[in-house]
Amino acid sequence: MPPMTDPILIDDLTLAYGTQRVLSGLSLRVPAGSITALLGGNGAGKSTTLSALLGFTRAQSGSIAVCGIDPAADPDGARRHIAYLPENVALYEHLSAVENADYLLALSGERQPRDAIVEGLAAAGLQEQAWDQRLGGFSKGMRQKVAIAVALLRRVPVLLLDEPTSGLDPRATADFNALLVQVRARGTAVLMVTHDLLSAADIADRIAFIEAGRVAHEASASGAERFDVRALHARFQAGGAKVAA
Amino acid sequence: MILFRHECRLLLRQRLTVGALALLALLTMAALAGGMAEVARQRAAIAAIPAAHAEDIGAIADYVDRTKDAGSAAYYSFHPTWDAPAPLAFAALGMRDISPYILRVRALGLEAQIYDGETFNPELALPGRFDFAFVLVFLAPLFVIALFHDLVSGEREAGRQRMLEALPNGGRALLRRRMALRLLLLWGLLCLPFMIAAASAGVAVSAVLIVVAIVAAYLLFWAALAALVGRLRWSSVANAATLAAAWLVLVLIVPTLANVAINASIPVHQGAEIAMAQREAVNAAWDVPREATMRRFYADHPEWADSAPLGPRFHYKWYLAFHQNGDARVADKVHAYRAGLEARDATGRSLGWVLPSVGVQALLTQLAGSDLAAQLAYQDRIRAFHARLRAFYYGYLFRDRPFAKADFDRAPRFKDVPRG
Repeated sequence: MPPMTDPILIDDLTLAYGTQRVLSGLSLRVPAGSITALLGGNGAGKSTTLSALLGFTRAQSGSIAVCGIDPAADPDGARRHIAYLPENVALYEHLSAVENADYLLALSGERQPRDAIVEGLAAAGLQEQAWDQRLGGFSKGMRQKVAIAVALLRRVPVLLLDEPTSGLDPRATADFNALLVQVRARGTAVLMVTHDLLSAADIADRIAFIEAGRVAHEASASGAERFDVRALHARFQAGGAKVAA
Repeated sequence: MILFRHECRLLLRQRLTVGALALLALLTMAALAGGMAEVARQRAAIAAIPAAHAEDIGAIADYVDRTKDAGSAAYYSFHPTWDAPAPLAFAALGMRDISPYILRVRALGLEAQIYDGETFNPELALPGRFDFAFVLVFLAPLFVIALFHDLVSGEREAGRQRMLEALPNGGRALLRRRMALRLLLLWGLLCLPFMIAAASAGVAVSAVLIVVAIVAAYLLFWAALAALVGRLRWSSVANAATLAAAWLVLVLIVPTLANVAINASIPVHQGAEIAMAQREAVNAAWDVPREATMRRFYADHPEWADSAPLGPRFHYKWYLAFHQNGDARVADKVHAYRAGLEARDATGRSLGWVLPSVGVQALLTQLAGSDLAAQLAYQDRIRAFHARLRAFYYGYLFRDRPFAKADFDRAPRFKDVPRG
């Protein structure tokens, strides 16, 4: 039996767009059943890290693996293990929540019956009356629930989130965080790019500060002992200042 | 298949798309119905010819029978010729709406009769008739643009592109599937009504297959162009504007400029000028000594040279001889005119290799037997028939044989070639 490896493994990754180096020796691992929050200033390389994991960009050096697959070499292979939620979850407004989920699952090659889909939507916290409504009138939180439902239904081992709580009100943020905790409980490795210190401190098992394209600081929560938000904020400010400088 | 069904649902939930597809279906059916109605009208006109001809001959037969004058019979009797539409003509009327498809000829000078009838309706000649070829060549690209211009940019602008690309098979495979679906829908909306119309018109299966292949190739060209523009990562509005400009250039401006350039580089006189020259030659002949006219005629047609000399009175053989001399006078002009038209046509056709709109139009009119070649072939058939008509009447006139009522039945009859 091969040794179990972490679903997300990044080692000494260097990536540049033309002459502009974005990642400079970034190393990161996200174990199964854990949430890692990736924090950093604008342009620090957070979204580029997600792009590299999704196979959208190719690194110049270092290694990257999603469930043992190099996304640059086999993007579709890697993406079979990934559910990805962009900052603004945009779905098809002229389809209902069920139809959207059905379509996205079909695209992923993981089609499921309606019963399973509505079960997933319910598990994601979407109210029953919204299941067959067209998405035109949905709030951002409701759209995210549809996308999370798809992720839940796909039962993928990796969930990538890009600023998932930006624009959500505190109640919706709390609901979303609760949902992520459920996802983690199913053994999913969650990597969350965020500026939301409170959410990160609340649910993440590990927080990585990325500065100038590399993880400059990493902190883990141990058991019931959570992160010190004041300290995180100070660290974030320092990193941001450093990035800005 | 499931994914195609999903894409279909996605596409057909968009009101604008459904509206566009419905409009294309409507335009296609209207164009086919219009083409079929026009062809039916032409067939009905051709079918009415024998009765009208019999009536015409009946009106002069009694008079001719009293005088026994073959000259009067030749002068007063018109003989119909026609160019029956090919089964596929309904799809591409081509030159059938600007050139005559029925021509009644007498045994007099032919060229004036041919080119007098060269009616030319500039309003129809400019855009062409609203037929299937028009819908395909001019309008179908606009529907391709409408359905393809935002295929990628639309997803990007809606914020879905990254999420879709993050799905397995959500990138190029998805794009290919969507393109294929749109192409299939457009092709189906153009070809299914066409195939029904073609079946009812009795078009050969091979011709139908060629047309549907042409439709597919033409749509594919525009879809490829749209995909190419889409790769530039411009906004949907910019894509649409660029493709609309390409349509304007490739379908309207360049073909029009090319037509102007071809016409300028290959000058061709109007057919009416030939008719005018022939008429002038005929009119001038009244002042030419009759012996000179006959000498010239006999030089060209020695088979009649042993005819009795002209007396002091008017004789129709002299009249018909100077008519034929008039044809001979403009023969060079006729050859030059025809060669010019053929050269223009050949140049235009070679342009079709680089301009798909021109190529498709040329192919469709060729298949439908409504192009210049078909028109000239009809003229050839008229000339051959007219030669028989002349020989028939000359047999009476130059041999001084009386022409009776029953002789009208011996006159040659025009036979059209059956079109497959």
